[in-house]
Amino acid sequence: MSRRRPLLLIAPAAALIFFFVMLPYINVLVMSLRMPGSEGKPFDPGFGFEAYAQFFTQDYYLSALPHTLWLGIITTAVCLLLGYPLALHIATASRRWRGILYGIVLSPLLVGIVIRSYGWTILLGNTGVINKTLKDLGIIVRPLKLMYNDFGVVLALAHVFLPFMVLPLLSSLQGIDPAIGQAARSLGASRLTVFRRVTFPVSMPGVQSGCILVFVLAISSYVTPALIGGMRVKTTTILVVDALIDQFLWPFGSAMAFVLALSAGLIVIAFAMLTRMKWK
Amino acid sequence: MTEVSLLSLVKSYGGAPALRGISLSVGHGQFVSLLGPSGCGKSTTLRCIAGFEEVTDGRILFDGKDISRKLPEKRDIGMVFQSYALFPHLTVAQNLAFGLEMRKVPKAQIAERVARTLDLVQLTPYAERYPKALSGGQQQRVALGRALVIEPAILLLDEPLANLDAKLRDEMRGFIRDLQKRVGITTIYVTHDQNEAMTMSDLVVVMFDGAIAQAGTPEEIYNTPSTEAVARFVGNANILDLPAANPGAGTIDLTLPGGASLTIPAPEKPAARLGIMARPEQIALTGAGQGHLGGRVTRRLFGGGYIDYEIATDFGVLAVQTPANVLADEGQAVGLLLDPARLWPVARDAAA
Repeated sequence: MSRRRPLLLIAPAAALIFFFVMLPYINVLVMSLRMPGSEGKPFDPGFGFEAYAQFFTQDYYLSALPHTLWLGIITTAVCLLLGYPLALHIATASRRWRGILYGIVLSPLLVGIVIRSYGWTILLGNTGVINKTLKDLGIIVRPLKLMYNDFGVVLALAHVFLPFMVLPLLSSLQGIDPAIGQAARSLGASRLTVFRRVTFPVSMPGVQSGCILVFVLAISSYVTPALIGGMRVKTTTILVVDALIDQFLWPFGSAMAFVLALSAGLIVIAFAMLTRMKWK
Repeated sequence: MTEVSLLSLVKSYGGAPALRGISLSVGHGQFVSLLGPSGCGKSTTLRCIAGFEEVTDGRILFDGKDISRKLPEKRDIGMVFQSYALFPHLTVAQNLAFGLEMRKVPKAQIAERVARTLDLVQLTPYAERYPKALSGGQQQRVALGRALVIEPAILLLDEPLANLDAKLRDEMRGFIRDLQKRVGITTIYVTHDQNEAMTMSDLVVVMFDGAIAQAGTPEEIYNTPSTEAVARFVGNANILDLPAANPGAGTIDLTLPGGASLTIPAPEKPAARLGIMARPEQIALTGAGQGHLGGRVTRRLFGGGYIDYEIATDFGVLAVQTPANVLADEGQAVGLLLDPARLWPVARDAAA
């Protein structure tokens, strides 16, 4: 009885994961191996690698994949660069300030992703707040291209996903004994050296989970690239939705989704191995 | 080896002073303990010496040189923290090498000095382990080794044994003291445990409320405390109100309630209220009607090598500790024998 109890306890979660995560995944994999349809049908009988062959031979679709991964990496880097100083500041702030800053970091999550992304179009558009102000001030003549390009998409993605970088960093930084930094200084390390040799490496678990989280969220996001990129920034996620919903190409869309998931998985594994911590 | 002088250190946070003029000089290779209850300023003093707190006023001298405005990394100190503060991402050997790398010591020399220090703290077999895989006592020794390997001017220890269990604490106490003697490094040790302070130190500095109450050898602090508070902090003490006494030249003649009279040394400084201190083990039991005072045993606690008695007398309840072979039953009438040479006048606390 007592031995079987843990199994019993994880059963609901396991069932949930099986039916709502594993089964759809398997379904996507199976669908990607079906024959592409003809005469308006989503797929034809039989199995094969047709859909994959279509994907890997059409440059329009294939080229979106590295671009999507690249946007994910840049977004992650921007979040890390912006989020680390922020997390460090919050972690060392007084108790009262910590609460206030924590709330501010979390506040974007209270607003839906559509609204947040749409907010950026008001700021970044050709007749948006930024361009209009610069024009009125006579600083520019023609509007700056701030959206419908990678710049706008990365900016908006970084804003949307910053909390997912800050929160793991914060919990990692708050777990560090402040005496460690003092010990390093007593041993002759300057403030900068303490950060480089002690604080940053010890906060690595937070860096790792924050980066993985933001990367995975960024490459799979649809709403933000669609709204800010205005279909002029081609990401695999947008193409997958297009293939599945608009063009009715089920095996092809599934194959593309599966290749994206596999590439993202490989990048995450490579990153985790590169930043492996023997001391944990 | 370095001489450390503190000249009227003052530290205040906003309004309330945490240190109110600490002056102290620590000789070459001495082991000094700062002893006091929490909040007395002992840790603040240590942190000022280390440079983690900036002094509000006063100076800190290492071998006559003022270092009070230097950054911590420029002070040449080795410090051991209560939490050990080991670098979790570095192995034991890398933890030890850290300070040497900061000093730009050549690689070959680092390896040699780390190996020598690992041997000193008996951790050679654990060189490649990470701190997480070590016991509390081993982590403690890594912290000591890391502080010592850089051969600092002084060694600062902030309650280093507080997180260890009782048996290990006793072991480490001896270990640290032996190591300090062998290395001959000037050491300042912060603790709230009077036992640690007395067994390890050349000099014990008792602090209360941001000021030094008394500084002296462990024997001086224990046998001739200056105030009641010091007497009580460093051990059990019976403090008797001084009955009518005739102040003599350097001595006080004392008449006890039972009629017996004693001559004890007079205090160095005049005090508003004087008391006499008698340590429990300095009072002997004798037959009823004998000795200086009569009393009745109200409690007997067997402690193995000794027995703790509580005895009700005309002076109030006194604690008496005797060898385990001195037996008296609860309720029995006994006589108490005081040793005039060991009685000591102390200033009574204002509140007492």
